[in-house]
Amino acid sequence: MTQDMKREFASREELITYLRQQFPEAATRDSHVSPTLGGRKAAETALQKVDPSKYSSTRNFLNGAVTRLSPYLRYGVLSLAEVRDLVLAKVRHQEDAVKLVNELGWRDYWQRLYAELGEGIWQDREPYKTGYTASSYSETMPEDIVEGTTGLVCIDSFSHQLQETGYLHNHQRMWMAAYLVHWRKVGWQAGARWFLAHLLDGDPASNNLSWQWVASTFSHKAYFFNRENLERYTKGVYCGDCPLYGQCDFEGSYEYLEGKLFPGAEKVDRSGGSKSWNRPKKPR
Amino acid sequence: MNNPIIWLHGDCLNPESPVFKAYPNAPAIWVWDDALIDEWQLSLKRILFIYECLLELPVIIRRGDVATEVMAFAQEFSANQIVTMESPSPRFQDICITIGRSLPVEILSPEPFVRYDGYIDLKRFSRYWRVAEKYVF
Repeated sequence: MTQDMKREFASREELITYLRQQFPEAATRDSHVSPTLGGRKAAETALQKVDPSKYSSTRNFLNGAVTRLSPYLRYGVLSLAEVRDLVLAKVRHQEDAVKLVNELGWRDYWQRLYAELGEGIWQDREPYKTGYTASSYSETMPEDIVEGTTGLVCIDSFSHQLQETGYLHNHQRMWMAAYLVHWRKVGWQAGARWFLAHLLDGDPASNNLSWQWVASTFSHKAYFFNRENLERYTKGVYCGDCPLYGQCDFEGSYEYLEGKLFPGAEKVDRSGGSKSWNRPKKPR
Repeated sequence: MNNPIIWLHGDCLNPESPVFKAYPNAPAIWVWDDALIDEWQLSLKRILFIYECLLELPVIIRRGDVATEVMAFAQEFSANQIVTMESPSPRFQDICITIGRSLPVEILSPEPFVRYDGYIDLKRFSRYWRVAEKYVF
């Protein structure tokens, strides 16, 4: 039997000092602390701020009305059912809550899959649809990404933010994952492990299966993006400061980037009247 | 007579969890899984977040091998049952099997998000949602 760990602390600083002593290896790996507070009280505060209608129309933008509930849902501090009930109680018309409830559904979906797959969530669910086999992808994280020194202001900022705060907006996660897997040819598992070490809401099911969705091992096609997409949803905050603007890895149309990133991939049938192929894969 | 202890894990850090409602007077334990922290290479900020959640719960905090610590805790209180919340984690299943060799484990479920017990195809989210949306609202 081990000794009971402390429960009384005069301040958050005192708690942090205690944890640095108790978990020196974790502190050596990364000693940052997040401004996001744990606990039910903080969860309820976040819950009160949820605006389902605004969420629906702005959630893909970095400054959109996202809920920030994911760490509390991850640890069961809030249940999906109670968030659903509160969201429905906040709207006059149910349709205003549909998008947010649908997103809660993604967590329920990942958890159900986790119950089925177990440790299998670390395996490719399907082959890559990128024209490359799994063995083409590196198993280790590139140092310049971890250190945030790629020179791409967006990617470097996401890397720093992840490690310093334990939070990335969903769109930032997708861009980072796509960059790592499709531009740098790193296997999704390496990125998933990196995210799990840092994300406050790090959950093997949501995390790994979302990485697989980007990688195309759990979707019909790979998710990728271009500079225009990133600039739009970030309101240009990274591109405006980037010395590589106009010549970065993400320049060009989706068609151009698709050919560049996946030259050996099976071509999408473009003979029909629909031009939907020309649109980017929507963020989930 | 039923004399349980509560084992809290990382999927149920809610003071209003069904385990506390079902057994309001039962002693509760959380065990930091040192092997898991190492395996997942968890950073300090994740540990801090969880610790802050724990401080709002009536729970004794320990560390080490989870099954060993939970069983030792049960022995301290002469408990004849372990109560916990369900989790899809395979590690959770393994720990339940180990503990279950010594004491019965009761696993409670949270209020369901989708009020439907039938089969749902999980091949793609769209297939899941076609069924789920009928029961979720």
